[in-house]
Amino acid sequence: MSKVIETSHLCRYFGEGELLVKALDDVSIDVEEGEFSAIIGPSGSGKSTLLHLIGGLDKPTHGEVILAGTNIESMTRSALSNFRRDHIGFVFQAYNLIPVLSTIENIEYVMLMQGVPSSERRKRVFEMLDILGLDGLGGRRPAQLSGGQQQRVAVARAMVSRPNIILADEPTANLDSKTGISLLDMMKDLNVRHGMTFIFSTHDQKIMDRARRLIHLRDGLIELDEQRKEFAA
Amino acid sequence: MLVAKLAFRNIFRQRRRSLLTGLSMGGGYILLALTISLVEGSYNNIINIVTTDHTGHVQIHKENYLERPGIFKTLSRGSGIETLLANEPSVRSWAPRIYGVGLGYGDEKSAPLSIVGIDPVMERNTTSIFGKVREGNYFSDPVNSDGYYSVMIGYGVADMLKLSIGDEIVLISSGADGSIANDIYRVGALVGSRDSYEKMTVYLPLEAAQDFFSMKGKVHEYAVMTSHPSEAWKLTAVLSAIIDDPLVTVSPWQVVEATFYKSMEADKQGNKVTMGIVVFLICIGVLNTVLMSVLERTKEFGVMLAVGTNRLMVMAMIILEIVTLGLLSCAIGFLLSLPLLYWFTHVGITMPQPIDMGGVIYDTMVGEMGAAIFIIPVVIIVGSAAAVSFIPAIRAALITPLDALSDR
Repeated sequence: MSKVIETSHLCRYFGEGELLVKALDDVSIDVEEGEFSAIIGPSGSGKSTLLHLIGGLDKPTHGEVILAGTNIESMTRSALSNFRRDHIGFVFQAYNLIPVLSTIENIEYVMLMQGVPSSERRKRVFEMLDILGLDGLGGRRPAQLSGGQQQRVAVARAMVSRPNIILADEPTANLDSKTGISLLDMMKDLNVRHGMTFIFSTHDQKIMDRARRLIHLRDGLIELDEQRKEFAA
Repeated sequence: MLVAKLAFRNIFRQRRRSLLTGLSMGGGYILLALTISLVEGSYNNIINIVTTDHTGHVQIHKENYLERPGIFKTLSRGSGIETLLANEPSVRSWAPRIYGVGLGYGDEKSAPLSIVGIDPVMERNTTSIFGKVREGNYFSDPVNSDGYYSVMIGYGVADMLKLSIGDEIVLISSGADGSIANDIYRVGALVGSRDSYEKMTVYLPLEAAQDFFSMKGKVHEYAVMTSHPSEAWKLTAVLSAIIDDPLVTVSPWQVVEATFYKSMEADKQGNKVTMGIVVFLICIGVLNTVLMSVLERTKEFGVMLAVGTNRLMVMAMIILEIVTLGLLSCAIGFLLSLPLLYWFTHVGITMPQPIDMGGVIYDTMVGEMGAAIFIIPVVIIVGSAAAVSFIPAIRAALITPLDALSDR
């Protein structure tokens, strides 16, 4: 398996002097292709910060992030934006769908940016609708969907462009337990079937139960990097 | 296509706010169209009055005649100018004239007056002088049974010399050859009004004026009409080229009536200030809407940028939103302004105090309808709205995705 994520001595500090906060301090991790991993830890431990740095949404104070063999720190803003579009899928806690677009349009949005031909887009969108149980909801706007349905659309949007990595920040936080489990099972299934790499930032035990690797953070430091034996091949 | 779809749908997202912004732009459109229509309509009306009353669209003189008129600065009728005018297709009509000054005598009094020689038929075809005859007849009988030429006089002359139709008037001046010019004429008509510029003028038939001033075959001026006052500069260029004589000057009405033209242009600038205020108010409304919209959607822009949307696309979407709203508002404004402008153009506003312009009464302010009247407000409103939305659009495009997503 090849490495899709490598972080080296990653630091992210906020403020300065006495007010300096070390959100992440010297974090080095490698993630291999097809992993289903979770970054866990208490609030303020640096989970989201690490996810943001891996996703190229934030710049580290020190250290570097190499995604799919490319060091993203040296990229221009425009190049980084294109890199995110082509290699990373995001699933946010608050779904963050575009309200004026329908389910189908939201799912195909990133592919439109990539210039995927119309017939291919449609094929992939309907495949996703089928996999994620969104059949019949294609024409609805986000406001006409339940929270679980919206999060499934967000997952579809993140996956449909076939990125190398999917970063999910507390994806089940706003969902009830049953819906959360259903969504996680779908994501797990997609991970197994398509070999996509999933990294979660979470407090949710349901995610931890399904993750093959748990990266424990505390006060910006890796406390434990745990490979789950029950998932070992 | 995606940008257009997003922009169009975003307009209907905050319907009430879009409606208010649309109302200010649509209302602004109507105000601008109405202002432009009335300004253009009124000025075109006045220009029409001035040019058809006397000036014509273009005048031809001997060199420097306009700056320093003189009896000797004449054009010969046989010089070929009249043939050129007759053969030039853009010339609708033309009239030769002679100007002089002299003393007029009635039974008891005398008065200084201006003497203008006109060709009765050509002048009637060229200017509105025939319509300004208030009493008597327009050169219906140029020479009466006593051999006197019939003349037309202004009301100032009639009042000062106590003259009425059929009375005799004696004119004395000096001829172009240095001789004493004097002759008796009979009043055939009274023209203009007591306030009009020709109140102290005596109009003689051209032939009589040439005899009087010893100017056989000579004139001081040709007044030329073309299809529209706006064609004057073009005709001036054409006539200057075909006459091709450095001693002959061809001038458009804008030069002949330079004072009037300059004051009109100055007034138009004043109207631009009024229009600027309307546009400014619209811009404030648009800016408020776009800023609110950008602020409310900060997180959405953050998501769009996070998933790889091009920053230029975000900018284009915001500008296109306001441009689309502007175009929709202008379309509605256009439909509402149509009957209004039609009414102003065909009925107009009756002025409480009519203006006497050279004996022609200007009593109704009318508008004008034309493609420019409807297109200029669209360009101003949509252009200003797009310009105003540029800054919020740049702001949205430069949002840092993480800051937007975490509401920093």
